[in-house]
Formats: sequence, structure tokens, C-alpha cells
Amino acid sequence: MKASLRWLVTHVEVAPLGLPQWQTRFRGGHYTGSFHNNIMAALCRGRHRWKGLKGLQVFTRNLAGRYDYDLVVIGGGSGGLACSKEAAQLGQKVAVLDYVEPTAKGTKWALGGTCVNVGCIPKKLMHQAALLGTAIKDSKKYGWQMPETVHHDWATMAEAVQNHVRSLNWGHRVQLQDKKVKYLNLKGSLLDEHTVRGLSKAGKETILTTKNIVIATGGRPKYPTQIPGAVEHGITSDDIFWLKRAPGKTLVVGASYVALECAGFLTGIGLDTTVMVRSVALRGFDQQMAGLVTDYMVAYGTRFIWRSVPKRVDKLSSGTLQVTWSDTETGREHKDTYDSVLWAVGRAPETKALGLDKLGVQLNKQTGKILVGPDESTSVPNVYAFGDISEGRPELTPTAIKAGKLLAHRLAGHSADLMNYDNVATTVFTPLEYGCVGLSEEEAERRLGKDGIEVFHAFYKPLEFTVAERDASQCYIKVICERGGHQKILGLHFTGPNAGEVIQGFSMSLQCGATYSHLLQTVGIHPTCAEEVVKIHITKRSGLDPTVTGC
Amino acid sequence: MQLVKIRRLLHVSLQRHELIRRGMASDRASTAETTRFDFLVIGGGSGGLAGARRAAELGANTAVIESHKLGGTCVNVGCVPKKVMWNAAVHAEYLHDHSDYGFATENAQFSWETLKAKRDAYVSHLNRIYRNNLDKAKIQTIQGYARFTDDREPTVEVNGKKVTAPHILIATGGQPSVLSDDEVPGASLGITSDGFFELETLPKRSVIVGAGYIAVEMAGILATLGSKTSLVIRQTGVLRNFDAFISANCTKELQNNGIDLWKNSQVKSVSKTDKGLEVMIVTKDPEKKNDEKISTIEEVECLLWAIGRQPNTSGLNIGSMGVDTDERGHIIVDEFQNTSRPGIYAVGDVCGQALLTPVAIAAGRKLAHRLFEGKKDSKLDYSSIPTVVFSHPPIGTVGLTEEEAINSNGKENVKIYKTSFTPMYHAITSRKSQCIMKLVCVGKEEKVVGLHMQGLGCDEMLQGFAVAIKMGATKADFDNTVAIHPTSSEEFVTMR
Repeated sequence: MKASLRWLVTHVEVAPLGLPQWQTRFRGGHYTGSFHNNIMAALCRGRHRWKGLKGLQVFTRNLAGRYDYDLVVIGGGSGGLACSKEAAQLGQKVAVLDYVEPTAKGTKWALGGTCVNVGCIPKKLMHQAALLGTAIKDSKKYGWQMPETVHHDWATMAEAVQNHVRSLNWGHRVQLQDKKVKYLNLKGSLLDEHTVRGLSKAGKETILTTKNIVIATGGRPKYPTQIPGAVEHGITSDDIFWLKRAPGKTLVVGASYVALECAGFLTGIGLDTTVMVRSVALRGFDQQMAGLVTDYMVAYGTRFIWRSVPKRVDKLSSGTLQVTWSDTETGREHKDTYDSVLWAVGRAPETKALGLDKLGVQLNKQTGKILVGPDESTSVPNVYAFGDISEGRPELTPTAIKAGKLLAHRLAGHSADLMNYDNVATTVFTPLEYGCVGLSEEEAERRLGKDGIEVFHAFYKPLEFTVAERDASQCYIKVICERGGHQKILGLHFTGPNAGEVIQGFSMSLQCGATYSHLLQTVGIHPTCAEEVVKIHITKRSGLDPTVTGC
Repeated sequence: MQLVKIRRLLHVSLQRHELIRRGMASDRASTAETTRFDFLVIGGGSGGLAGARRAAELGANTAVIESHKLGGTCVNVGCVPKKVMWNAAVHAEYLHDHSDYGFATENAQFSWETLKAKRDAYVSHLNRIYRNNLDKAKIQTIQGYARFTDDREPTVEVNGKKVTAPHILIATGGQPSVLSDDEVPGASLGITSDGFFELETLPKRSVIVGAGYIAVEMAGILATLGSKTSLVIRQTGVLRNFDAFISANCTKELQNNGIDLWKNSQVKSVSKTDKGLEVMIVTKDPEKKNDEKISTIEEVECLLWAIGRQPNTSGLNIGSMGVDTDERGHIIVDEFQNTSRPGIYAVGDVCGQALLTPVAIAAGRKLAHRLFEGKKDSKLDYSSIPTVVFSHPPIGTVGLTEEEAINSNGKENVKIYKTSFTPMYHAITSRKSQCIMKLVCVGKEEKVVGLHMQGLGCDEMLQGFAVAIKMGATKADFDNTVAIHPTSSEEFVTMR
């Protein structure tokens, strides 16, 4: 009751027509789920007819059940937004809480989560800028007289990118409103399996009761806090896209796709960029492909410091940062100075402030991620989690969106379909793009043995590279098939221009169970890079030269 | 000098073949002067070369007769130099976007001469690769024009020498159609796509005639590289055999790109002045039947006819061979590429079906497997062939148009999904271009029978979807595929 009174006080501005006592009166539950859903469905059907009737909202609320909401989603990123909008479309009463904790450097952003603000969107746009940088060099070969060095203005690019991001933030706000999802700019945590506590920036508290809770708070870049100077002087991918000035000579620490993508676009716009790698690049990806990606970057002008770990970062009186690192093989220490140091040493889930321990929501102790079932359920009933926050899920926007929508359908009782996390394609937007779907060669070998798989491969030369006189040594395609039977395709890997656009259709064919002969039966599209996939015919086992010649 | 050398080489190797063959066919003394092969290919383009190489791999003693440069249309005056020019035009488009992305590249000057030199060098490089590939495969290359003789057994004569084989493949391709000066006075003052690749400078003022994909591509390249370009079409839209959605959008995009579009128009006459060509155009008012307007475009540097292509059969003397052709001269073949004369086959553009390099290549290879590996069922499936038009932005299409699907399945059994959006690349550019997409689905299971799109990146998007559609993918398969973010192709799997 106490909680409810507090709710009454703080919630008035949010839901002026709410009748808070209902939620407590009905808590404990006489309504069955299906009854509840029936009412909701009836309301849904009736909505059009009753449109404009005064008092409808009161009525709705009265019947919405023993809780304020059917669903409260914590986290307004790709997954959370998709889930909340979908649930609302299905007639559920939904609120979504989103709150961005500023970075150590003070960077903050609005609704939309990592993808929109500090991930996919700004990184792809900056990658496009870098590709244009390469295009300028190519254009000389195509007959344009260009100045020897072309100046790039960071502020112009960053401002354009940031404006686009802001327009997306706004778009998400409008969509939530259109779809009748209550948006609350509050930091959410769980009080129990039906109660969410929201905290505003000013410290004001709001209590929301709900039938179901979905946690989709994603993750944030990690800082290596044990390294002196790391937090004070370093930035992460949460800052880079929002910098007002070019980061200058930059050291990127880490070799995940985030690290390589950032280093790639910084190099592409003409900045002196170095990547420091402790062990391997693109861990978890096919390592032959990872090698091609980094080889291309080396040729592209990105410097690499292999097998090294940073020891400390000191700010010199000149304002530049002195980084001390040690070579893990020789043990020797090295120093160099940089204008910026970007940590890309992994991402950590945002689970700490959610109050999960009190509720007994089980986490993976090592990763800190929430343990989930195939239906995204946690160890606590009525509490679900998906996206980057959940253990073992790919950290990708489209999987979060799809999983979120399917979860909404299940919570609304509309379907029992589960998310299929197999054959999820992904693309790394490094200077030479790398797209893949299915298994890496290592993983295929581990599952079926070296004799159980047949690997078709080809080194090809994109037509756009020929006149531009660009080295195509890293443009490569690998199709991993079962060796026996119909030669079902297990994995498909592609490095080259437009890899993201190339791989999507193939990922669908894998989804449909494509075999090697399905590739052969499809007529190529000439002259494209993608046609090389359906022309592939040299096996690794044969030892023949896989270089494509002629049309 | 080069020619003498080739002739000598040819002579030496012909002798070698004669010696080998004579031993094996000693009972045919009467044909001793005729060189015999297992497989004789007329035409060293995409289809002919692919068929010849595959046959040679399968052990057939093979020869290729080519009158011009190896590689045919695709390599010399088609796909390859066209795509090089399109790539150059894409760079011209990027120039508009550089400042939006932060690069300072104002006033970049373009040199057509540099581009042409590089393009020619690349094409010559490919010609050499083709030659080497044939040599490596021990395939005899015969330079010259082939003509069927009156011999009882199908035989061709090249440079006065007779050559024969139990299997002869005609893969002579096609060439741009032209109008005679009788049909349009001064028509011969214009060029075709073949002539486009000989242009030494960028024409300041161009007029393209035609509404097919070649006209669209040529107009796009010229306009984007800075030529003031007019496109003359007989009706109101380009690409009229494409899905109406694409046809309408492409017509709009041409105009967005600054191409001056002359609808319901035809060239009446062409004349030459000291300032260039004067192209007289007659435009009909579709509302009023007899209302015609005559206009003149002056100072035209390049008049390009892109009004279709015709098969290369003249001079082959196929008429006397019992090889049937259609009314437009295309060789009629069955699904196994057999012509009406046993022992003579045809693939590629000369057959007039799906005029595409990969189609000719695949058909040539399938035939080789049938003839020389005993694979009786080896034939190309001509359904669901994906194709791309390198317009600005590019078009990708596979399968049936909406109209075709409705005609064969009934309107009530066809469901259409469509979307259009601004690709993210253009999110921060002042130059904008939409991406449009359409799925044509049939039946209760919503089998996807057609996929059509135009937009940035559509050229590279199509291939993978084509595999899935060939496999019989349904709309549900599209829905079950997880997107790749952020791409344009993901819109296909998130369509509602």
C-alpha cells in the first residue's frame, strides 16, 4: 500500500487518469491469463468503435488488470523498442524505460540504444566516409584529377552523423507514441517480479506494476580499469562517434570487430591509426577470414602492434598521451605517443543496477549476463531477458529485434514461436568488408572432422579493383559444405566490397537448407562480386589454384 | 606481322592435327584436306569459350573459330567495359557526396582519355587471358570467318581451309541493330554501343535512342560523367518488359539524374552541320492521334542507337544447312541447345533467349557435359535467371513480374509486398536516391516467384536471393531469415 501511495504521488503526471488502488486490490491474482487476454482482445476489437469516447481510458485502465501494465520493458534499444511496440500492437499495455548513464568522458545520447547512437548506425556512416576516402584515391585512376592529399573535416562528418542519429532518436519517440507505448526516461530496476522502480535523473522515483518484465538493457564497452590512466585518458566506442574534433593519431586497443571497424574508418579518413592486439583478431570468427581482414587493413595503412598489452597511459604536458605497453613474447616494454586511446576490449552487460540479485535472477558469473531459456525466460517467473544482456546470444541488432518481436507475441499469447538463433548472418564493416553466415571452418571441422567437410574456395578480383589498380589478394570466398550426401552448406564466408549486401540473400538460402548444387544451379549475375559465390568450384582438398581468371 | 605469326602457328598446328587425325580416320581419305576435330565452336565469346574449354577438359579435341577478338561481346563491347564505365560514373556520383562526408574535392576535373586508356588496357589483358586459357587447354584457335560448306557432313570453311567435327556449336552472338538511311535519313551518322566504346572523348551533347537496358545504361553513364544527354523513347517509360514498378521508377530516376527524356518520340532524320549533328525528333501526343510535334536537337556530338540487338548469322550460310531460324534470324534450339540439324548446336545471344553472359556460359558447359561426358540430361534451366541493369542506381530482378504472375496464376492468387526507403548512405548526403523493393508471391504458401529492386547496392544484393528463389523460397523463408544490420538488403527479410 505504501508503494502504491508513493506511486500515486509520483505517477500523476504520467498517467493522470490512472486509478492506482486497483493494482493493489487485484494483486495476488484472481484473473487467469487467458481471461485477461480475452478482455484485452475485446478491448482491442472495440477500440475503433469507441474511439473518441470520453472516459475510455479510465475504463481501459480499470480492466487492464491488477497491474498498471501488461508489460514493462527496461531498455529502449533495438530489442526493447521492437518488443514494446510489437506488444502494444497486439493490444498489450506497455511501458518502456530508457536511461543512458553518461560515459566517463561525459558522452550521453537519447532513445534507441547502442545500435542507433553508438553502434551500427554511426559506425556504418563513418565506414561509408572511409570508403569514400578510398574512392577518391581510386577516382584518380578512373580519370579524375584530384589533389595529391585530400583534406577530411571530422566536424562536418560527425555533425552530419550526429544529426542523423538525432533524427532517429526522434523517430523512435514518435513511433512509441503512435503505437501507444508509454516512454519513460527513467533508470529501471526490479523490486519484485511484478514491480519496476524507475529513477529519474533528478532522483525522483516512480513505481510501476506489471504482469511481465522484459530486460533488454544491452551492454556497454569495458574499460581495463587495472591499467593506470585508462579511464582518465581513454575513450571507448561510446565516445568516438560524438567527438567534436578528430581524434588525431589514435591507438585502438583490442581486436574485436568493434576495434577493427573503428580503426578501419579512422584510417580511411586519413588518421594515423594503430591497433594493439593481445592475441588473435576477430575471435570467434573464421580465422582464415580474420587474417584476410587484418592483412587488408595493413595494406590499407592501419598499423598493427601484435602480441602486446598496454601497461599505462600518461598524459604529457603537451597534452598528448604516452602509452606504455609490453610485448608478451619478448617481455620488452615500448612507448609511443597518441592523441587518443580507444579501448575496444570487450563489452559488459548492464546488469549491475537492475537489482537482479535480490530477486534471484541467475547470471553467468563470468560474463555477468542473464541466463535465459529458449523462450528468453530467466530463472524468475514473469521476468524475461534478451539481446546483448542475455547469455549466449549473438550481440546483434537484428537478432534482438526479431527475438523481441517473437517474445512480444508469446507474452501476448498470440504465438508460441521461438527465436531461431541458427544461421544468423553478420557483416564486419572493416575497410574490406567481411560477411559470413553459418559455421567457421574451425567449427565445422570440430563438429564433423576434417574428412567430414568439403571447402570450396576462390580468390577473385572485383572489377572495381582492376582499373583502380587495387590489390585484391584478400578478396576471397569460402563455402563450407558437408562432404557426403547432398553437400549441405554449413558456412559461407565472403570478403570484398558490399559484403553486407552480398551475404543477406545467401543467408536466406542457407535458412532454406541450400546445398552446394543449389549454388551451381543458379545462374550468375555478370559482372558482380556476388556471382563468384555461385561460380565457386575449387576445393581446398584438391590443392588446385583457387584464383579466378577471366569471366 | 602479328597476323603472319598467327597464320604460321595455325598452319603448324593444323598440320599436327591432320597427322593425328589421319591415323585415326584413315578410311576417310577423301576428307584428308579437311581438318577434323571432336568439337568445333564457331564464336569465341562467353558461350563458345566456356563450351570449348569444358569439352577440352572432358577430353574432346576442340577448336574455336573467332573472327575478331577473343571474349566476344561481354569482354570487348559489353558487360566488362560497360561496368568499368559505370564504375567511373559511380565515382562521379560520389563527387557530389564527398563534401557531405567531410572530404574537400571541389573542382575535380575528369579525363575521359585516361579512363579509356585504362579500360582498353584491361580489356586487352582479358583478351590475352582468354588466349592463354585456350592454349593451356590445348584448344586450337582459328582466326577468321566461318562459313558452312555444301559438304554432305556439316563442315565449315575458314580462310580457305575446311574444318569439321561431329559436333559443331554456333555461338556467334549478336550485334546492335541499326537503321538504314532509307528508314531514317542520316541514321548512319549515329553510332551503337559498339561505337560507344571507341569514343575518344566525352561527348558534350548526346542523344540516345531506345528504351531497353542498353539505352538506359548508356544514357546513365554519359549523363553522370557530364555529357548533356537526351533519351528518346517511343512510349512513356523505359524497360517496358520489366516489372511496372521498376519501369516507372527507372524512368523517374533517369529524369532525376538530369537526363532529358523525350517520351512518345522517334528520330525522324539526322543531318550533319559544322557544329555537329542535328537530330530531328517527332513527338506524338498520345491523347490526340494526329497531333505531331517536330523538334530539333542541335550540336549533338554523339547519337547512339540502342534499339535492340540482332543475331550474327549472316555469312554463316546456315540457311542451306537446314538450321531453322525464327523471323528475326535467331537460331531455334530445343532445351538441349540442339538445332534442327543433328550435330549442330547453338548457345548464347544467337538464340535470342536471355541475352546474358552467364546464361551462355552455363548453356555451353551443360552442352559439353552432355556431348562429351554422356550426361544425357545435362541442360540449362532457363527459369529464374537473375539479371542486373547498371543504371543509376542499379536494378536487380529475378523471376516473374507482377503482371506475368497474375496472367499465369490469377489476380486472387498473387500477393505483392513492396517497400521503398532512403538507403543509409544517403542519410547524410544532399544527393538522394530511393531504394525500392518488391516481392511477387503466389498461392497460399506465398511462394516467391519474382523479386524486383532498384537502389544503391542492388547489383550485389540479388545473387543470394536468386539462389533461394531458385530453391522455391516462400515469403515465410524471407521472414525467418535474420537481417544484417545496417544494410539495404535486410529490408527484404523485414518486409511486412
